[in-house]
Amino acid sequence: MSGSLNGNSASSGGGATGAGGDDFFDQMLSSLPSPWADLANPKSPWDLTTGANAPRSGEDCGGYDESALLASRLRQHQISGSGSPAGAKPMMLHQMLMSAAGRAPGGGAGAGAGGAGDPSGFFPLPLSLGRDDVEGAFKSPNGTGAEGLFNGYGGGLPGAAQANNQPPFHHAQQGAPMPAQNFGGAAPNAGAQAPAPAASGGGAAAPPRQRVRARRGQATDPHSIAERLRRERIAERMKALQELVPNANKTDKASMLDEIIDYVKFLQLQVKVLSMSRLGGAAAVAPLVANMSSEGQGGSNGAGGSDSSLTVTEQQVAKLMEEDMGSAMQYLQGKGLCLMPISLASAISSATCHPRASASHLGGGPAAAAAHHLILPGPQAQPNSNNHVNPDGPSSPNLSGLTAQSAMANGNADSHKDASSA
Amino acid sequence: MQALHFLQALARIARAAPKPAHSARTRQIRHAAYASMAHSSRSSRRTWSRALLHRLRQRQQQRPGRLLTVRRRVRIVTPITSRPEEPARAETLRQLVPGGRGMEYCNLLEETADYVQCLRAQVQLMQTLLDAFSS
Repeated sequence: MSGSLNGNSASSGGGATGAGGDDFFDQMLSSLPSPWADLANPKSPWDLTTGANAPRSGEDCGGYDESALLASRLRQHQISGSGSPAGAKPMMLHQMLMSAAGRAPGGGAGAGAGGAGDPSGFFPLPLSLGRDDVEGAFKSPNGTGAEGLFNGYGGGLPGAAQANNQPPFHHAQQGAPMPAQNFGGAAPNAGAQAPAPAASGGGAAAPPRQRVRARRGQATDPHSIAERLRRERIAERMKALQELVPNANKTDKASMLDEIIDYVKFLQLQVKVLSMSRLGGAAAVAPLVANMSSEGQGGSNGAGGSDSSLTVTEQQVAKLMEEDMGSAMQYLQGKGLCLMPISLASAISSATCHPRASASHLGGGPAAAAAHHLILPGPQAQPNSNNHVNPDGPSSPNLSGLTAQSAMANGNADSHKDASSA
Repeated sequence: MQALHFLQALARIARAAPKPAHSARTRQIRHAAYASMAHSSRSSRRTWSRALLHRLRQRQQQRPGRLLTVRRRVRIVTPITSRPEEPARAETLRQLVPGGRGMEYCNLLEETADYVQCLRAQVQLMQTLLDAFSS
């Protein structure tokens, strides 16, 4: 937006000396969003003929009535909560300030106008800068005063920035040190104020382009639109992840990320431990399957093992399998059955199946259903002091693995299974 | 699909001849678990599944010559310097999820969701099998 102002001032710089102050006003006001314009028009902030309505009585810029008036008007708008439009103005002023302040050396303590610590404390500064120009170039306070003021923005601020080198104004000699001082005084204020209006502006004014200033919360800048889209997508995916991960407290993003990371680590650890525990199981799978199937079909089929029930079971399993493999397996397991490819079944049934002694139960802790106990396989039931069974080999590493597994699995398996089957 | 693959792999392991060492067997089972995860129909089109398979194959090729294994060559990927908009823990997540290095944060989250789903299914499967076959 500062660019727009500069452009305006530059374009009307030549013709600003004459009439056409209204044109300039219209240009400016039309470039602003309608609320601002609506605000501006009825209240006619730039109407300098209204009396000195200067809440800022501390102006030491003696004859700077117009600037004081303008400052007061601007501040009124800002305070009246006109939101971003009012914030737009100080934003633009800020940018010019900041760009200029970078080049101007910090002077002494600013005038009372600059250093009052007021939210609009920096207002008088550019106004006073422009004031120089107004005074010098136009010498007409009324209609073209503000216009000249804004003229001074384009030419005044950068000009005043180099005030030390060459004051561009006619009699800016006395004005130059003044702006420099005001710069120094207002720069800290400007620095403090920069974040606040910048935040309200939504960053749309940052790139000095000629575009309409968007209302708060929106942006016409393609970059910020893309940014917003991206943020929305990320939020969407975070929500989806929240549903997957069990402890979805809906707290902030950071803790949610931590939760997700921990969960992934936990699952990977579970895979690792389960693969360890299956060592005996993998060997036992082959013969056991035959046992299970024969037993399951034979008599231990809770409801009575007839053929009809088997087909019913099959249909049930098929239905379950469509949704979730895990629940299908659980269903089968609850019935004492298992699912396997036909080739494997035939291969297994041909093998000799020697019965394995059932291992002792591990940790019958807070298990909801008895079927969810984690049972470790073992070639022989060798009750240790901890009631653990070692598949083979030395005891210590297996013990630690088994303990971890039981502790983890019993504590979490139920919750996970319940959560997943829900 | 996932379960089928896993069962087949397990059977293969069980049949594999002389009982290998404890650790080797663990490794094989874990390998089978991840392979079946990557091969599941739901995830075969995902980035993480391809990266996972790649990683598994690399590990398999590495294993035989353990003494003189050359560290797998560093892939020149997008620099791992944390991109500015992401939270700090995104880097950890990238390391966890296979193939997470080259992805943007947005896609990373999506892949993570899918990966978590598959992991959960795999864990459930293994636990169920364990329960079923070991009682």
